[in-house]
Amino acid sequence: MKTKIEKKNVLGLYSLPTNVKFCKSCTISNQRPRINFDENGICSACNFAELKKKLNWKKREEELKKLCDRFRKSNGEYDIIIPCSGGKDGSMVAHQMKQDYGMNPLCVTWSPLRYTEVGRKNLDSFIASGFNHILGTPSPIVTKKLTELSFKTIGDPFQPFIYGQYNFPLTVALNFGVSLIMYGENGEVEYGGDMKNAYKPDRTVEDQLRHYFSGVPPKQFSEMGINKNDLKPFDAPDLNRLKKNKTEIHFFSYYKYWDPQENFYYAQEHCNFEPNPERNEGTFSKYASLDDKFDGFHFYLAFIKFGIGRCTSDSAHEVRDKKITKEEGIALVKKYDGEFPKKYYKEFLDFCSIDDDDFTKIIDSWRSEHIWTKDKEGKWILKTPIWN
Amino acid sequence: MRKIRLIPRLDIKGPNLIKGINLEGLRIIGDPNKHALEYYNSGADELLYMDSVASLYGRNNLEDLISKAVKNVFIPITVGGGIRSLDNAYKIFKCGADKIAVNTAIVKKKSLLSELVKEFGSQSIVISIEAKKISKNKWEVFTECGREKTGKDVMEWAKETVDLGAGEILVTSVDQEGTRKGFDINLVKNLSDLLSIPVIASGGMGNIDHLSDLIDQTNIDAVCMADILHYKKSTIPKIKSEMVQKGFSVRKYYD
Repeated sequence: MKTKIEKKNVLGLYSLPTNVKFCKSCTISNQRPRINFDENGICSACNFAELKKKLNWKKREEELKKLCDRFRKSNGEYDIIIPCSGGKDGSMVAHQMKQDYGMNPLCVTWSPLRYTEVGRKNLDSFIASGFNHILGTPSPIVTKKLTELSFKTIGDPFQPFIYGQYNFPLTVALNFGVSLIMYGENGEVEYGGDMKNAYKPDRTVEDQLRHYFSGVPPKQFSEMGINKNDLKPFDAPDLNRLKKNKTEIHFFSYYKYWDPQENFYYAQEHCNFEPNPERNEGTFSKYASLDDKFDGFHFYLAFIKFGIGRCTSDSAHEVRDKKITKEEGIALVKKYDGEFPKKYYKEFLDFCSIDDDDFTKIIDSWRSEHIWTKDKEGKWILKTPIWN
Repeated sequence: MRKIRLIPRLDIKGPNLIKGINLEGLRIIGDPNKHALEYYNSGADELLYMDSVASLYGRNNLEDLISKAVKNVFIPITVGGGIRSLDNAYKIFKCGADKIAVNTAIVKKKSLLSELVKEFGSQSIVISIEAKKISKNKWEVFTECGREKTGKDVMEWAKETVDLGAGEILVTSVDQEGTRKGFDINLVKNLSDLLSIPVIASGGMGNIDHLSDLIDQTNIDAVCMADILHYKKSTIPKIKSEMVQKGFSVRKYYD
């Protein structure tokens, strides 16, 4: 199938600044959507990382205990929904909520587009460490079609997964009559967003339904030829029902100091978590985001759109967490960022029913002039790499 | 009689002693030389310093650390991580190291091993192999702190390096490293049966039984340990005395 692909207005779509600037203290640039830089050129995520050290974590843990007391049922019924893929972060949250805070969690996973072997193994190990769990798997036929369409139109093949990641826990919460949902970290705080969120333990359901789908809710895909009924599993439940259920969405990272590397050690010890057998393509790490064969394409698209590849994001987190220095971060970015996800490329093309030529056209349609230029040999290069 | 050498392993990043799991993670344990001194004073037979991220960042910076360590530590010290040239090796030896351990650079350029052997002698060259199990009785060589596949078979590669003059083989099981679940005994057994030079096993020791199983079932010469010492789950005197009780031979520890 030959696809007609139009050039996208990346600057306008994501309200990006035209001049690429890098944070003075980590490796992120001002091209990350919704990130702010202060007058000293420091990004909001770094500022939060500093603030985080000064917060009264004892007090916040007290708040967590009170929250648990408010929701704990102690009658065998589930009292908390924990979205958890069996990765290091969700496993840690689930394990602590159960062991340390006496909650009775129902853990919920929305299936990756296509499981990696280690991802599935980790989920099984997590469940085997003593959890009640539900795996939501939407029809692969619909998922494929949605993946193809969202790759072409939104430039992110992960959109169908993201829908489920946010919406499926809400559906499960409603169906089991559970009012508390506990996510791991609040990305809007940890990775750069509005600082007002740093002082908020929760997110309203309205906010969740409104914001986090790149402005494209699942129902919009019905205009692109997907049957409305087939989209139902990806969609959020009715807002009024959610409100009637008194659904609350909280973030563990508000209550306890969030350190992804420590989560790795914790999950390994308590839930038999294993890192990826080799380095994830496009970055140095082995312990993050390793359960979907296609997540490399999600990160690759971010590299194309914003010049921010997986290694830039990973290294920025680790610089903020003081695991590596900024110089080490830059060396890693130079070495790995934007590495093409070749391992599952063929499988991805098949999944999306596109060919190599379509893929390149789609990728190039997301290259903005303020980020990309060509070298003498006609190869795409970043206009403003961090190491310059 | 075979006396098993006990070698505390110090993985280093920058100024810090770190400890990973499956060669992933950089959790800071403390000051490497403080630990080195403590292990020396409590009867360690040798020490291994490994700049685990040197190849990852294309650097090596253990010189300063080693120069300081050798002022107080008088057992053999092996230094590994990011050694890419004769010049790098010279500098490490000049700081007072007794042996060097090499992995990534040799995998990339085999001829470097011959050069190192010619210059410094087999007795001072340890080949470090990061081995990842890929099927029963098959392991693949990894480089850059367990991050990069090489496609090389561990047994074949080890044999090749021995033919080129390697003095010892340090084998780290990526699967077991940091897990406290015991050594990959099958890996060590295959390797120590195959090779005529000393094999040092690393990765997985969580208790004394792991160690005695390993010695019982393999022709091992030396053992690296990190987690069990760094997290103070045991001490070298305790391990040595338990080994003696189990009938193994170790160098005596004089307080």
